[in-house]
Amino acid sequence: MAPLQKRALYSFVIGLVLTIALIVVLVVQGDITAFERDPNLRLIMYAALIGVPLIYLILVNVTLRKPTQIDERDRLIIERSGRAQWLAVIFTLVAWTIALTEIYRDQGQVPIAFLQLIFMSTLIISTLAQSLGILAGYWGMNRNG
Amino acid sequence: MGRIKNRIRRLRFDHDEMTQEELANRAGCTRQTIIALEQNKYVPSIELAFRIARAFGVPLEEVFQDEDS
Repeated sequence: MAPLQKRALYSFVIGLVLTIALIVVLVVQGDITAFERDPNLRLIMYAALIGVPLIYLILVNVTLRKPTQIDERDRLIIERSGRAQWLAVIFTLVAWTIALTEIYRDQGQVPIAFLQLIFMSTLIISTLAQSLGILAGYWGMNRNG
Repeated sequence: MGRIKNRIRRLRFDHDEMTQEELANRAGCTRQTIIALEQNKYVPSIELAFRIARAFGVPLEEVFQDEDS
């Protein structure tokens, strides 16, 4: 397994864990407005919002700097995975927009906590889609060349 | 895949059974790319093709051939 392929697999697993954690938190709290009421939960969310992209950037940069870890074939796969990532992010935002518009149309306003949830879910979907795109890229290249 | 064939596996054998890892290090790519090349599942860039030829100390056309020519 190529080093980048391994990293994609780890990212996919981490993305899944984050998704499950987010769902568990929502189920335990029982209500989206708990994010607004609980200052500790807000702090954890802010830390995650800043920390996850930073860790991601550092990991990607460290990976891309090592010539023995990544080469032109890996870069080609990364470029192709961008399409899957872009599509997943767009569809996530479309789903949020339609869902929130339909649910809160009568009230004329959306709870502020959704801002965090939209960002977190987009970030997770983006990571998952890129990882899946990379794994699919290796699979396709090994199968068809 | 493609019409570009290569003799990398043969050339490795001729060069004291050079390992895929060693060739990858000399050519500046990953071992997985060498594996894909040997299975004709990847066509390298001109740059990588030259680096592989240089690693064997042979001209480019001794490593890569166009099936049509």
